[in-house]
Amino acid sequence: MSEYREELRASARKVVEDAGTPASEGAVWPVAVELGWLLTTLPEARGGLGLGWGDAVVLHEELGRGLAGAPLLSAALAAEALAGAENEAGASWLERLLAGEPIAVPLADGALAAEGDGLSGRLEAVPSAAGACALVAWTEGAEALWLIPRDAPAVAIETPPYWDETRAWCAVELRGVPRSAAVVLARGERAARLVEALTVRRALGIAADAVGGGAQLLELTLEHLRTRRQFGRPLALFQALKHRVADLATELAAAEALLHEAAAAVDAGRADAFRRAWEAKLVATAAYARCAEEALQLHGGIGMAVEHPCHLFLKRALLDVELAGDPESLALAVGDAVLREAG
Amino acid sequence: MTAEELASFRAEVRAWLEANVPRGWRSAMTNAPQEAFVALQRDWFHKLVGAGLATPHWPAGWPGGGRSLAEQKVIFEEIARADAPRLILYFVSLYHAACTLFECGTEEQRDRYLPGILEGAVWCQGFSEPNAGSDLASLRTRAERRGDRYLVSGQKIWSTMAQYADHCLLLARTSSEGPPQAGLTYLLVDMKSPGISVRPIHQITGDDEFAEIFFDEVEVPVENRVGEEGGGWAVAQATLASERGLTLVELSARLAHALPRLGRALRERGLAEDPGMRRDLGRLAARVAAARALADQYLERRIAGRERVGDASLVKLHYAVVLREFARLGLRFGGLPAHRDRGFVRGATQETGHWVLDFMNSYNWSIAGGSNEIQRNIIAERLLGMPREPRTWRLEEEA
Repeated sequence: MSEYREELRASARKVVEDAGTPASEGAVWPVAVELGWLLTTLPEARGGLGLGWGDAVVLHEELGRGLAGAPLLSAALAAEALAGAENEAGASWLERLLAGEPIAVPLADGALAAEGDGLSGRLEAVPSAAGACALVAWTEGAEALWLIPRDAPAVAIETPPYWDETRAWCAVELRGVPRSAAVVLARGERAARLVEALTVRRALGIAADAVGGGAQLLELTLEHLRTRRQFGRPLALFQALKHRVADLATELAAAEALLHEAAAAVDAGRADAFRRAWEAKLVATAAYARCAEEALQLHGGIGMAVEHPCHLFLKRALLDVELAGDPESLALAVGDAVLREAG
Repeated sequence: MTAEELASFRAEVRAWLEANVPRGWRSAMTNAPQEAFVALQRDWFHKLVGAGLATPHWPAGWPGGGRSLAEQKVIFEEIARADAPRLILYFVSLYHAACTLFECGTEEQRDRYLPGILEGAVWCQGFSEPNAGSDLASLRTRAERRGDRYLVSGQKIWSTMAQYADHCLLLARTSSEGPPQAGLTYLLVDMKSPGISVRPIHQITGDDEFAEIFFDEVEVPVENRVGEEGGGWAVAQATLASERGLTLVELSARLAHALPRLGRALRERGLAEDPGMRRDLGRLAARVAAARALADQYLERRIAGRERVGDASLVKLHYAVVLREFARLGLRFGGLPAHRDRGFVRGATQETGHWVLDFMNSYNWSIAGGSNEIQRNIIAERLLGMPREPRTWRLEEEA
């Protein structure tokens, strides 16, 4: 693990901790822009640091740890798309993004349909789209990758109430946005490759969110077990409870190891990068959800009170399971990869 | 060693294994007598020693020794990939005995025993007892000092391959004073000494890999003691730490390479079109990938000198849990046909595709070497900072 990575982690943790629980978007986003977090994975030719997702996931772990609302993952994916665009279509938008104007990317499955001259479709789970200057999305089958300016005609943004309130969830509906009002970032082979890159990195980002959130929630739970006394002794002395937190720590440690292994596979462009990223997302979000489920139980009544942050982790953990690729489809994709190996 | 050098070392090891792994050993070992297994193990051991692949963890200067942890990892990964037999008969010799001697033995002890190990001397471990399993420090086999020798009496159990062993690493009690750990002494015992008898344990799997050892006033010269009298516990810790996470790197790699067996089981049952089953296979594959990543990360930590107390327990517990899940899914995919006893495959480790057998064998990892429950205690108390179990207690009826 590089020293740089540890510095990045320490810096991110400080920023997030100073931003409250949950870490507010207003406090984290401007600092993230100022500290150049978006430059982490951007190629040097684009003024970035040219580092890999092995480093970037550390940031997303820390944001997850602090339940942060800042749309860093979505913005990092947008930067990836704009930097990889054909000709210079994305250049001016990339400048705006790096200057701090968020560009939104959906974190759930979903694609646009190209009907006649227009782009249509409904995209769910687009973080902070209401405050974004544009949206990056792709058409079905990854035929083309588009940037749709926020002020293009026929773009409607809703803010449906999600149980997870730590992130500013929006739904974006395009009702026949004229192609002339949108920017095509890539088509054909290039679009397919970019969309693949985005979906794989999105899975890493959500896995990182889960790893970080799970670690923080485990710490809160351990603290509760150490301090809460019943029957004249701390709960932490009951072996039945100790074993349950030991299991959580084990699952989270494995998820973290797999996340970093998957990020390394993605950075190295290894042939198994896809599968590792899907596996990392499945394992990490399952571990986070299990940790959240157990944390609520181990906290007892206090966890059911809205003042306690337990429920914020629970709601975020349960939603993470559904983000960055429907888990049933990902599990099927991995299972089929094993079946192909079986010959 | 640079990344390129490591890659070329890997290619070398891979090529050697492709040319030398005994072909068809799994079918040859199915229902084979123990003697055939021992013969296979001896041949494979001498081949590996000859190629310098059995002792990469030994210090430089010894044949095959002086390899970095990174190179050792490569060797284990390639052995897993090649589906080579595990060196079950020699594992204690090559790791436990050798590392104990390197770390805690005297010059004379090293000169006397290490060359023998390279020539194929088999060692076994005498730690666990019928009444000292998880609570190893409570063991009761006695070693009484009589002049220049110890007289050993007692019973050991779960000693792997003790019926073939030339020597035993013995942990015995020389004193009942003070805390239980403080009265233990570490001895090297010649298994041909008068007063030793060995009884194989017939296991539920059909194997008899383990044995009981009975000691009846067995004489052990004082020069066979490792460390000080009463210092055996620390030496035993060195023994148990000897494989340094490499075993789990190998075993989790083997598990990953064995996933296609589950895929074939699904096909054979005609269930490969069932998306629910395929998803379950995918979820398990993800868990196996995580087990492998965790074992690899642990070894990287050790290489970097950043290991935390309790890290090894995370790896072992996770592997044991995932191994059980693997076997359980095998049972589901295998269905009724998997219940026909197709015989026992000697030395085939945990994932043979004989699902009932594999399921039973998975307990080797959730019980031996510190049970899952012990690992959970270690993780909770040493890694997570939960308070330790109170040391004294009294049953109400005993009060």
